[in-house]
Amino acid sequence: MNSEKKGELSELKASLRQFAGSRAPGSTEAKRELFKKVISYMTIGIDVSGLFTEMIMGSGATSDLVLKKMCYLYLCSYAASNSELALLTINFLQKDCQDEDPMIRGLALRSLCSLRVKNLVEYLLGPLKTAIRDSNPYVRTMAAMGILKLYYLAPASCNEGEFVPALKRLLMNDPDPQVVANAVCALQEIFDKEAESGSGPNVNGKDWLLSKEVIYTLLNRIRDFSEWAQCIILALAAEYVPQEPDEIFDIMNLLEDRLQHANSAVVLATTKVFLHLTMSMADVHQQVYERIKAPLLTLISTGSPELAYAVLSHLHLLVTRAPMLFAADYKHFYCRFSDPSYVKKLKLEMLTAVANEANTYDIVTELSEYAANVDVVIARESVRAVGQIALQSYDVNGIVDRLLQFLDMDTDYITAETLVLVKDLLRKYPEWAESCVAVIGGVSHTAVSEQPAKAALVWMLGEYGQDVPDAPYVLESIVENWAEEESETVRLEILTAVAKLFFKRALECHRLLGRVLKLGTEDGNQDVHDRALLYYRLLQQGADVAQKVINPEKRAVNEFAETQSSEAKDRIFDEFNTLSVVYRQPSFQFMAKEQPKAGASSEEDPATPTGVLQGGGDFAHQELLSGAEKEEVAAPPPTASNGAETYSAPNVLDIMSGPPANGNAASVSGDPFATSTGAPVADNAPSSSGGGAGGLDDLLGGFGGQSTSQPQPPPPAPALQLVPRPTLDAGTFQRKWGQLPVGQAVEDSFAPAALAKLTTPQALLRHMASNSIACMASGGNAPTFRFFFYAQNADASGFFLVELIVNTAKGTASTKVKAEQAHLVEPFVQMYRTALQSF
Amino acid sequence: MAKSGAASAVFIMDVKGRVLIWRDYRGDVSATQAERFFNKLMDQQSENPSSNNPVVFDDGVTYMYIQHNNLYLMAVSRQNANAASLLLFLHRIVDVFKHYFEELEEESLRDNFVVVYELLDEMMDYGYPQYTEAKILSEFIKTDAYKMEVTQRPPMAVTNAVSWRSEGIRYKKNEVFLDVVESVNILVNSNGQLVRSEVVGALKMRTYLSGMPECKLGLNDRVLLEAQGRASKGKAIDLDDIKFHQCVRLARFENDRTISFIPPDGAFDLMTYRLSTQIRPLVWVECQVERHSRSRVEFMVKAKSQFKERSTATNVEIELPVPMDATTPAVRCTMGTATYAPEREALLWKIKSFPGGKEYMLRAKFSLPSVAPEEDTPEKRPPIRVKFEIPYFTVSGIQVRYLKIIEKSGYQALPWVRYITMAGEYEIRVI
Repeated sequence: MNSEKKGELSELKASLRQFAGSRAPGSTEAKRELFKKVISYMTIGIDVSGLFTEMIMGSGATSDLVLKKMCYLYLCSYAASNSELALLTINFLQKDCQDEDPMIRGLALRSLCSLRVKNLVEYLLGPLKTAIRDSNPYVRTMAAMGILKLYYLAPASCNEGEFVPALKRLLMNDPDPQVVANAVCALQEIFDKEAESGSGPNVNGKDWLLSKEVIYTLLNRIRDFSEWAQCIILALAAEYVPQEPDEIFDIMNLLEDRLQHANSAVVLATTKVFLHLTMSMADVHQQVYERIKAPLLTLISTGSPELAYAVLSHLHLLVTRAPMLFAADYKHFYCRFSDPSYVKKLKLEMLTAVANEANTYDIVTELSEYAANVDVVIARESVRAVGQIALQSYDVNGIVDRLLQFLDMDTDYITAETLVLVKDLLRKYPEWAESCVAVIGGVSHTAVSEQPAKAALVWMLGEYGQDVPDAPYVLESIVENWAEEESETVRLEILTAVAKLFFKRALECHRLLGRVLKLGTEDGNQDVHDRALLYYRLLQQGADVAQKVINPEKRAVNEFAETQSSEAKDRIFDEFNTLSVVYRQPSFQFMAKEQPKAGASSEEDPATPTGVLQGGGDFAHQELLSGAEKEEVAAPPPTASNGAETYSAPNVLDIMSGPPANGNAASVSGDPFATSTGAPVADNAPSSSGGGAGGLDDLLGGFGGQSTSQPQPPPPAPALQLVPRPTLDAGTFQRKWGQLPVGQAVEDSFAPAALAKLTTPQALLRHMASNSIACMASGGNAPTFRFFFYAQNADASGFFLVELIVNTAKGTASTKVKAEQAHLVEPFVQMYRTALQSF
Repeated sequence: MAKSGAASAVFIMDVKGRVLIWRDYRGDVSATQAERFFNKLMDQQSENPSSNNPVVFDDGVTYMYIQHNNLYLMAVSRQNANAASLLLFLHRIVDVFKHYFEELEEESLRDNFVVVYELLDEMMDYGYPQYTEAKILSEFIKTDAYKMEVTQRPPMAVTNAVSWRSEGIRYKKNEVFLDVVESVNILVNSNGQLVRSEVVGALKMRTYLSGMPECKLGLNDRVLLEAQGRASKGKAIDLDDIKFHQCVRLARFENDRTISFIPPDGAFDLMTYRLSTQIRPLVWVECQVERHSRSRVEFMVKAKSQFKERSTATNVEIELPVPMDATTPAVRCTMGTATYAPEREALLWKIKSFPGGKEYMLRAKFSLPSVAPEEDTPEKRPPIRVKFEIPYFTVSGIQVRYLKIIEKSGYQALPWVRYITMAGEYEIRVI
């Protein structure tokens, strides 16, 4: 701080002292000016904490609300760093909490609770208790939120002070909706926090909050609440599990009109309630999509681009879950010139998702217009979108020709994108080779500078060189520039392409191959060196052997693997209307504190959250394009039953972090380089995994590399651990239930006390959930109730499905258990029965 | 991690990413952290403008921001927050500040730090949005930027059943203005095909009414008219998606399609709706571009009004994109005036009054530098954009059948209803 400022501060200090005790006419105005000055200094970052004493003196005597407010603000900003001085303020804040003006009472209480000084907690308990019963609602709203602040500061004092029961009373009985809303916020946070840490007197508090009584009380008043409070209550209601189907319709009828609310957050929150309530009723769920469509589509064409982005992110999730339902609305996703890039990108993805036979022609026409436009990023994305549509729907309306037409535009970045896409297309539909290769042959390789495009071009020349007359000569001139080629991916690609072409056009390539192998073995890059050496030695074994490995019969790729497991997607859907949807990651992946339990981590896609800064969507896309390993090679199906089903997305990162799970090991084994050298994903050329799995498996054995396709032996003594909160969608449950045999059937009896509790099946659901056994569906009428439960092994290897039929008249409970891992049925049944008996 | 998704703090920053003012609600983020993040963001943005998402995750913290004039408003959260809600909240902050300071910009903020803090305190508590209606907030805000006198009144609104309207409002003359405004969005692709059309309508109200008035609005809504057994003779309309201001009793609308409400005081949007049926573009523009040589380009533009002759479009402005290095324009048009606006890289053709069923022409020649620019950057191709207003006309045919105002004191209020159609996002792409 310069001396001038210092001087000003001491001047300010003096003036404050001068007016401190003054009640002379005009002194209030003078003080206001001084206080204002202090506040502006504070705002622009000048430390005015030195004026603490003067500020308290100056405001102590006043009854002027404006002065008080400024003083409160000052206190809250500096109390934490001046905790000893803060004690001085307690007296007058406490006094203000008893002021006759409710405004002052409220403000003082809010400030008192916001000081964030731990050792002053005892002084705020009294005022807080009084404020809960204040006659003025303004004070009570502050009190409700104050309790939450207290809880974070000193959870023990909060629990000892019986504040949670007080909040519950406010929630149920307070006439003022904002008080109720704040009580909901406070209770929700407290309960969630304790449930998560697993300790505290309110571990199961959420059960109360999600009880029918509470939810109905709140929903019946929904219209009284402010729009923001409605969002909170709707978010809570989305977690509610109805006890009978009728409730679902009651709630939906009650909330139907919320979809017409002008506030987009309310519309999204209502959407979430509808979607979650109907999860187990496929046809109604479908109708919900139809119902929410129009409101959501409106939100994207009105309102600010930022809001459109938030809504589009959610719409994107819905569109990808049910593309058919949005197929007719594709025009809503057309881009406007003025849309910001982040909106355009989402729209492009949705156009890709909804493309079907009927609309593809229109969509591709529209995308081609974007490709011709100036925004390079969007132009590229548009080309990719066309390629993506071509990949997902086998030549609709001559889409392949239209993709190839992009090459006529003669724009380098468009050409680059197109080449990569044509390569992917050929891997899936080799029958297109003829028409594509004819065009590709005409592309001048000197115009292609981007690494993935170059790699793609080289790969195509190697793979389809027999149909490109001058392929050897093109490759030759590319080899000329070997030394300048910076990308090892491209160099690897050149090696393979020349070797492949050698088997097709030996005469023309003989010398070229020799040259490339020499260059390769002298290459500084380990992978390039190794591959060149490998080829060389293979060739020493004879051309036949070498051809089997280097240029085997291609099998078309059926499906490019998705980068995200369906489980992760379901979790995101569970977290609808939160950041998870925007980031396209389940919250535990980006929320630092909530790390999954050690066992559960292997189950999820371990993509690190660091990529989010670039936007979650992009990097998934890039992985799809570049990662050869992501492709599911036609490998022998894993023999072990565990894992393969749920783990459909192989991820190579697993290999580096530990022994691979069975499912992905099988699909990775197609590429010897990944396992033998432990090279990072990007270093592996896209073509290498195209090799026939059988031949390479042999090769692996010869290499002495670990034979990864062998199933992991089951753990010797199965000590079963369950995922605390398993997730499984109804469809998968039904499928699995249909497929699996009954592992074990047991009969239990219910104690009369337990039967009494069963009058609300809800209680049993909660009890089982606390034992890591979740409920899929429940129903029935006295005396027979039926429940479907499920649980998941903590190492994510398999699910346990349970059907329980309780007869309350006879006091019997018959259970059927089905397990994906037959050998774990026994320990699971034990756990399950222990849980059931303790009910 | 709590699931509730409260905000940690709200920041207002200048274009350079410096924090002008911020309110810390939960004490788990710092201003330096936010500034550091924002600078990083701005660096990225300078490389690739408009590439940044408005919701960004960085180092355990989520930043959500909007831009307004020369300011950024940013909500920050460590929880799994609700992005839609918080972004909307930021827009509400803008609305409220505008109500207080006329315009929200760096200058007005600096002059009003104290009020800004007061407002931020009442609008959010511990990260949860509270009251965001400017009229209601004025009950709490005691330091007024313009009038310093303080009225000591306990906050009324919170004790009301009606949170958007205070009691005790008095006007000498009770009036209501209702504007039915329809914006037409059109997208024509470079082949001259209409690929998309949409109407977004709004019933904009300004109420100057005393007491607690009950209002009832009747529209020529098809569902309603049919329910009442009135045969609709092509007069009734179907609206795709209707949204109401929170004052409208939605349950009542669901039941018998009556729009009844106690209005807030002042201006608000009573209702918005959308219509996505294919409509004929009201003003059609065709443009032919001829490049006579490297150095000369000629535009031939035809503008046609495709609505009934009894209506007239006013303030028509056709923005025609021209190459950025075009010079020496020579323009002739059969109606209106055309001016070259090099700063917008466009020719602006303005026609004050454009009656229905008419057709006007424009011819413009430009010189281009004979030497092509060194870098062969792809040509920017913004669309032709059109603005216009057509008073006393709606595309949807919506009609206000009645607007009744009943207040217990029994005063007579005058309702004024106006209709207007205007161009919204009206884009005609050129080849």
